[in-house]
Amino acid sequence: MNGPLFWKILTAACLLWYATITVYVALRGARDIKEMLRSLKENRSSVTSDK
Amino acid sequence: MGNFNIVIDGSIVGLYLLATMAAGLMVRKYVGRVEDFLVAGREMNVYLGVASLAATEFGIVTCMYTAENGFRYGFAGATPGILYALAMLVVGLTGFCIRPLRQSGVMTLPELFERRFGPGVRRAAGVVIVLGGLLNMGVFLRTGGEFLVQVTGFSLQAAPGAAGLAAWMQAHTLELAMTALLLMVAAYTILGGMLSVLVTDYLQFIVMSAGLLAVTALILVKVGWGRLVATVQAVHGSGGFNPFSHPQMGWPYVLFNALLNLAAVLTWMAVIQRVLAAKDARTGQKVYTRTSFFFVARFLIPGIWGIAALAALGPGADSLQAMPRFLGAFLPVGLMGLLVAAMLAADMSTDSSYMLTWASVIYNDIIAPFRRRNWSERRGLRLNRLIVAGIGLFLLAYGLWYPLQGDLWTYLGITGTIYLSSMSVLLIACCYWRRANSWGAVAAIAVGALVPVLYLVLEQMPGTSTWVRGNIGPYFSGIAAYVLAAAAMIAGSLLKPARREVTK
Repeated sequence: MNGPLFWKILTAACLLWYATITVYVALRGARDIKEMLRSLKENRSSVTSDK
Repeated sequence: MGNFNIVIDGSIVGLYLLATMAAGLMVRKYVGRVEDFLVAGREMNVYLGVASLAATEFGIVTCMYTAENGFRYGFAGATPGILYALAMLVVGLTGFCIRPLRQSGVMTLPELFERRFGPGVRRAAGVVIVLGGLLNMGVFLRTGGEFLVQVTGFSLQAAPGAAGLAAWMQAHTLELAMTALLLMVAAYTILGGMLSVLVTDYLQFIVMSAGLLAVTALILVKVGWGRLVATVQAVHGSGGFNPFSHPQMGWPYVLFNALLNLAAVLTWMAVIQRVLAAKDARTGQKVYTRTSFFFVARFLIPGIWGIAALAALGPGADSLQAMPRFLGAFLPVGLMGLLVAAMLAADMSTDSSYMLTWASVIYNDIIAPFRRRNWSERRGLRLNRLIVAGIGLFLLAYGLWYPLQGDLWTYLGITGTIYLSSMSVLLIACCYWRRANSWGAVAAIAVGALVPVLYLVLEQMPGTSTWVRGNIGPYFSGIAAYVLAAAAMIAGSLLKPARREVTK
């Protein structure tokens, strides 16, 4: 494969992958934040009730 | 003045800053323990980890030197990104080092080293990590500020007729703007620790990605792929597409970058803190595999910006300043605001993560081992917050208001190699070599620091500089640091009788 073609394919793959993962992470990351904060809240309340 | 419109672009930037501050401060109430502050209670899941890792490892400094790579080497300048992505993919798929690291339950690398090599090595590793990390980070603020000033076109000269405080403020616009930015970052990092870092990283990843993609799309449409390729061909020839045939790169460049990037993937604290904050080892590995391809984008996207600057300004332009100068004139109103917001997002996420990372090592591995009794969570939290604030003050004093002397990239390379060569050897030996012991660890730390410092000294001395640059060069010196640190670990460990090894 010649150099320019390799970089053209890599650039196209890179932009396509990056655009897709940005949308995907925007949606799934918000869910991860909610779960993380809920879990931390539960942990804190269980520690408080143990005391 | 560039194309920055204070009403339209300023509103976009203001809105972004407001949302980030609100999100960062909102989660501070969930921080009750030191573990919450340093590793978010180890509750981080995969996609939040991907956003955080990508946002942390892309700052304005990154954008500047990867764009400079594009300007100086063409497409071949993105080679380190491919090597970094491959290293992260392989480590993520196999769990090499990061699985035992996460399963050990430690909060920092030196804490793991103590279990194998003893408390002395823990403290020595802590000092090397903090020195290497802080000295590296010391140049972030000023470089970031210079980029923003170039892109927006704000003048750093006092207006004619201005006097007193007004003249001083105009002459110090860069320092004042970056001080305000650092104060905002420090506020949410001090209060919310890793939790605030993760939540703001998420927002910053989205803003940063939108900016990077939009600017690249506009460059490809307006400048055109054909012109980018023709420019690289005309200025660099075939070496602009193939690092092995570039006269300033070749196999030593590729091998050095392969070692450097593997070491960074394994031991750069800001990176592996995402593994340590993950729910479990499997989640940490998934964060690595799913973020790996981002590192190609991390080099290739700003690299394309650098090539576009080369096409627009010609090879005679300053290689470091060419990209921001080009963008300042190229981007229309609106997109300029998005770019500035994206770059602020990139810089803030990096600053907050790095402040927390080095604070965690100072607390956990340099201060805490000296305590006589266990500290309460409240006291531990207070101390961590003070350390983060102290790092913020250091950055202001050393990195912003005190101008750095000498070559920026030599400085970054030396401080990075001192850290990465010894720590990567220690981690691999700690996880996979039973004979590894404290003698080997100390020898690896000493040799890993000695080789790059010796090269720097010989390069600066008039009697040896020409010979050293012509016969050794930075890449062979870098390769030697890794190889000799590994050899020192093997020799030191074999010299020490196995029965005297420290075990816990």
